[in-house]
This record gives sequence, structure tokens and C-alpha cells, in this order.
Amino acid sequence: MSEERAIVHMDLDTFFVSCERLQDSRLNHKPILIGGTSDRGVVASCSYEARKFGIHSAMPMRMAKQLCPEAIVLRGNAATYSKYSNLVTEVIKDSVPLYEKSSVDEFFIDLTGMDKFFGCHQMAIELRQRIIRETGLPISFGLSTNKTVSKIATGQAKPNNQIRVFKGTEKPFLAPLSVRKIPMVGEVTYKSLCDLGIKKIVTVQQMPMQLMHKVLGKNGLSIWKKANGIDNSPVIQYHERKSISTERTFDKDTTDVKKLKSITIAMAENLAYQLRRGNKLTACITFKIRYSDFQTYTQQQKIPYSSLDSSILPVVLNLFEKLYNRRLLVRLIGVRFSHLVEGGHQINLFEDNEKLIRLSLAIDKMRERYGDRSVISAAGMEAKSISRWNPFSGEPPPLLPNRRR
Amino acid sequence: MKFIVSSTYLLKQLQVLGGVINNSNTLPILDNFLFDLDNNKLTVSASDLETTMSSVLDVDSDNQGTIAVPARLLLETLKTFPEQPLTFVVEDNNTVEISSNHGKYALAYADGAEFPKAVELANPSSTTLVGDILATAIDKTIFAAGNDDLRPVMSGVFFQFSPENLTFVATDAHKLVKYQRTDVTASQVAEFIMPKKPLTLLKGILAGSESDVIIEYNDSNAKFSFENTELICRLIDGKYPNYEAVIPKENPNVLSIARNQFLSSVKRVAIFSNKTTHQIRLKIAGAELNISAEDIDYSNKAEERLTCSYQGDDMQIGFNSRFLTEMLNNLNSDDVSLEMSLPNRAGILTPIDGLDEGENVTMLVMPVMLNS
Repeated sequence: MSEERAIVHMDLDTFFVSCERLQDSRLNHKPILIGGTSDRGVVASCSYEARKFGIHSAMPMRMAKQLCPEAIVLRGNAATYSKYSNLVTEVIKDSVPLYEKSSVDEFFIDLTGMDKFFGCHQMAIELRQRIIRETGLPISFGLSTNKTVSKIATGQAKPNNQIRVFKGTEKPFLAPLSVRKIPMVGEVTYKSLCDLGIKKIVTVQQMPMQLMHKVLGKNGLSIWKKANGIDNSPVIQYHERKSISTERTFDKDTTDVKKLKSITIAMAENLAYQLRRGNKLTACITFKIRYSDFQTYTQQQKIPYSSLDSSILPVVLNLFEKLYNRRLLVRLIGVRFSHLVEGGHQINLFEDNEKLIRLSLAIDKMRERYGDRSVISAAGMEAKSISRWNPFSGEPPPLLPNRRR
Repeated sequence: MKFIVSSTYLLKQLQVLGGVINNSNTLPILDNFLFDLDNNKLTVSASDLETTMSSVLDVDSDNQGTIAVPARLLLETLKTFPEQPLTFVVEDNNTVEISSNHGKYALAYADGAEFPKAVELANPSSTTLVGDILATAIDKTIFAAGNDDLRPVMSGVFFQFSPENLTFVATDAHKLVKYQRTDVTASQVAEFIMPKKPLTLLKGILAGSESDVIIEYNDSNAKFSFENTELICRLIDGKYPNYEAVIPKENPNVLSIARNQFLSSVKRVAIFSNKTTHQIRLKIAGAELNISAEDIDYSNKAEERLTCSYQGDDMQIGFNSRFLTEMLNNLNSDDVSLEMSLPNRAGILTPIDGLDEGENVTMLVMPVMLNS
């Protein structure tokens, strides 16, 4: 692509808070925390008023409440957020040629070539105004020649504003910012960069690419590229799912095998149902366990392509038995299905029982009609909060993954 | 030890025996042919420990002796000769010298005593049948046998002999073939599971052969003797699944259709199916069979309509197209019938015509679950 690209990144400001405020105007101008209210809950979203107290998202809820005791804490409602998110998506879909919904509140829009007709900047401004007008949600955007720079620009623009980074000015724009602003630099990478004395993006820009490669491996290369404003990744409208997974951190670490098993069953059952609903099959099952000392173990097993509870559940339980071998409290367990393909379960002459298959079909029909949890196995009844979104709709998950009720 | 033999005659026999030899052997001696000379009779054997095959050749000699000759070297040399007599002379320095019209070739041999001895069958039972019938039985069933090392019993063909009939069954748990002959019988009831490899060899040798094959068997081994050849192999140990129980008895929905037409439609539509699962959908209503497939990942889609004769309720059923093509390809009738009951129960494919007297083929294919 020799042509100059025009990529807009749009991000809804404090999305969950904005949604709540639309529904209840009393929340305006007050510090709001949204997230899990249990001891291990984290802040999924917080208002700018709350941020003044040093609160940021992904902070443990307990700590946030200590920092700002007068904050209003809400548990949030995924369905409401999805609804508003879809409203915004509709508006964007309506006005631009190509967009990518990268999460509930973030969009990448490719306006390349639209200059001829409207002027990309003008178009982005009008789109932003239209979203604010039609949905009432504050939104910010960054416009530049690629996804990384646009995303960083949006972060700089917030709250409720816009920034345009002209072609050729990407490097000077990024130079004074903290390396932390680069997407993919998380806490761990940031620490190792700090250990190297790298704090500002400008330092990375001045470093030779080989050095970054030496220090951080492959990731170093892509961080170096991003720091230099180089990012050729395209805007992709639909991401095909390669795996589905669910995991759960306990309110209190546990060694209660019955409870662990029960949750394992509930998770596997739910995922298997999602597979069947999406007409998918899995060939690889992974089980993950994290003990209270944060040691994490995973193990996976290949199986013949399947989506039936009767062939998947025993494998998951077997992996659980194999992995749960330390006499230690368990903090988290998770199940993941990967190697997904399109298709229905190939019935086995000897292993599959016709009654079980008919039962499974009947149960799925009931779930289709009365909801995911209308029929569940008794063993998995204790596990109440397992997400029920459809992973194959091409939509990003409705909530931040680390959020808990 | 010295003998004279025709080059093409020897090559022909050795090529057949060479099929037994594995490409990589843990025991180096198994890369050899065993030559056992007894005056005018030369017995050549090849083995992979599981299967041992030997043939008796007529040669010109008045000696005795046993040697093991490198198989690949010998076969490659023989392939290049036009028909001529070859003289094999065993020299003192552990080499065997072959003299042809063109020159002399020496190859190192190993002591024949090192070669593993073939198993002797203790108290065998026996049955005799025509070579071609056995070859057909193998050909009809072997493709349906599985490849799963975890379930070895399904990786072979199940032989079921009784005074009423002979039955051959193969299955990989997704498809099943039962081939029955009522015109050939055994003196007593017997059951054993034959591994694929010796069957493939037998199929190749016996196709079209009118000579009798004597099958001897006990609990652990089977021996096939015909003309100048003997094949002894180890049987697969284990209990064969109760296949009769999984063949549905009541199948009210019966579809009859021209085999070739059905096969080519399935093949064509399958090109558009998912590359991993190969699933196609059959929709039958009235006298119309609708075959469709879709690969959502690539937005590929195909649909064909065929006329057929159908008795039963309208239904939709999904199959792995590979299984259907394999089965339809294996049959040679003009028309086939597909009997079904429910979308989650096996479909039964049988030929309507083209069977010999006393011949009976039943093919079973398990459906895939459809998302309606």
C-alpha cells in the first residue's frame, strides 16, 4: 500500500460510567466506580472525578474505595453496555467504509481514500459529533496514518476531544510520551524498560533496532516499530475466533475439590454449548490452574473434533485431576477450547449413546428458548457467574476480562 | 551353495515378498530375504516379525544351505536385467556372487540362522476359499478400517467364519462395512482380527486368482497358503466391538439413486465444504435429493438437486463427504439404496444390483450433528 493511509481510532470516554449517567443523571459530576464489589473485584471503569483520587481501571476495588471512600460503587450491567455499544456501532457502520470494533468501547476506522470526497479529518469530526448527538455518549478520537499512532493520540486527546497527527510528524508526536503509552507495553515490559533506563519513547526512537531485539526479543522489535510510528497492520472488520475460554478467580482461595470440580464442569458445559450454538468443533482442550502462590500450570490435550458434553467433560475433568496435585489453595481455574473448526459433531458408532445425543439436542433447544442457564447439570449449579455472550458473533467480549461480580 | 534361476521369475517372486519388508527396521536382519536352498527348491522368505511370507521357487541346483541376502540391493539389480539365467554362488568370504550374461556382482550376505523363524501354528483350524473371493472380501472392507493406535482392534478386519457363512467386517467407529458370503462356509465357528498390512499384500497377490487359499488359524496367528506361497501373521489381540448391535434395524426412510450420479454430486459439492470437516448436508423431500455444503470461513457454498426415488418422511441429515465418497467408490453397482431412520442415527448404504450369488454388502455411515 503505497498510498497514505488515514486511520481513526475512536474510544468512548469512561464508557461504563457514561452509560450509567445516561440512565441516571444524578450520577453526573460525581466519582463513580464500576466493577466487582467482592474483595477480589477490580475497577472496570471509573469517572474522571474518581481518577483525581489516583484511581485507575484494573485497580483492586478495595484499594479504590480506600482512596475515595465517598465514591459511588456500581456493579454494572453488561447488557446495558452492550446495548449502548451497539448503538455507537450502528452509527459508525452507517457512515464509514471500513471499521474494526476492537472492544466494547473502541473502534478503528479506515478512512483511506476518503480525502477525495470529504476530507478525512472533517469526516472524523462530523462522525464524532454525530455519535455524541445521537447516543449522548462522550467520545474521543485520534487520526493518523496507522493504528498505533491513532490509538496513542486518542489517549492523549481524552477526555471528550480529538487529535490529528499529520503524516511525518508521528515521531515528534510520540517522542515526549512515556513508553507506557505504547500499546503492548504492560507493567512487566514497562519495568524491564525502566531497568534499562528507558522512560520516554524518544529513547527507544534513538536506540538501534537490533539492540531492542537483543533485549526484549521479538516483542522488542515490534515495540521499536511502534515507538517509531511504524505500524502496517490493517483494519479488520471481522476477527475469526481461534479459541474460546473462560476462567474464574475465587473470592477466597480454596481447596474444596467438590467446588473446584463443580465450577470446572459448569465452565466446560457452558463453553461446549457455545461451540454447538456457533456450529463449531474443538480439537484441543486446555485446563489452567493457579495456586495461591501465583504459580500457574496449564495442560492441554488433543481430542477428535467434538462439541458434545459427553466427549469433552471427561477430558476436562481428567486434566483437572492431573493438574491439581499440589497441596495448596487454588486461586483460579480456567478452561479453554482451541483448534476450532466449523461443523457438527461426527457421531461415533460405539462411544456415543443415542439417548445422550437426543438429550443434548433437547437441552440445547431449551436453552435456545429460555436462556443459557435454564438447564444445567446439577454438578455445575454452584457456579453462577459464567459469562453467556455468544463468542462467535464477531463482537468483542462485553466486559473487561478481569472484572468480577 | 550354488543355484541357477531365471532372472524375471526370481524378480517377480521377490517383488511380491518385498512388500513385507518395512522401510526402516529395528532389526537389521529384517532388511534381508532369507534364501533356503534344498536341491531344486529354493524357499525365499521376508519378514517384519509380525508377518512372514515365503515362496518356494524352482531352481537348478543340487546343493543345500541358507543365507540372508540384502533385499533392496538384490531387487534393484534384478529390475535392470532382461530375461536370462542367473547363477548364484556363495563364496567363502561371506559374499554371494551373481553371474549374468553381462558380468559378475558380489554382495555380502548374513548367516541364514540369524533370520527370525516363522511361527508354527499349534492346533490350527482351517478353511478353504477361492483366492479371488478373499481378495474381494479384503477390497470391500479394508478401506473402512481405522488408523487409531489407541484402538488396535479397529485397525484390522474382523473375520467371522461359521458353517452358514463367512463374514468380514471393518470399522473405524464412524463408518462400517460388513461383507458376507453365504456361498462359502467354514467347518466350525471362528473369529479373529487380521491386521491391515498382510491383508493389503494378500489383496494384491490374490486379485483375480482362481486358486484355492487354505486359511489356518488359532488364537494368535493365521496362515494363508496358496500355490507356492505361504503367509503367516500375528493376529490383533482383543475383542472386536459388537457391531451387530449398532446396525439400526428399523429404517423407514429409503432413498434409491444412481450410484455414479450420487457420487459425482457428492464429490463436487464437497469441494465447497469445510476443508477440515468435509461436512455436507442431504435434504430429502418428495423425489428430490438436495446436497449442499458451505465453508463459512471462505464464503464458499454449493448446492445440487438430484431426482431420486424416496419413501419416507422428509428429512435432513449431515455426513462427512469423505466417508460417502469412499463407500460409493468402493461399490460397483448401478444403483444404491440409502436407508435412514433419524438424523442422528446411522445411514445404511447397500448396492441394489451387481452382486454375485451369495454375496452381501452392508455399509454403515454415522451422520454428523446438524445445526438447523
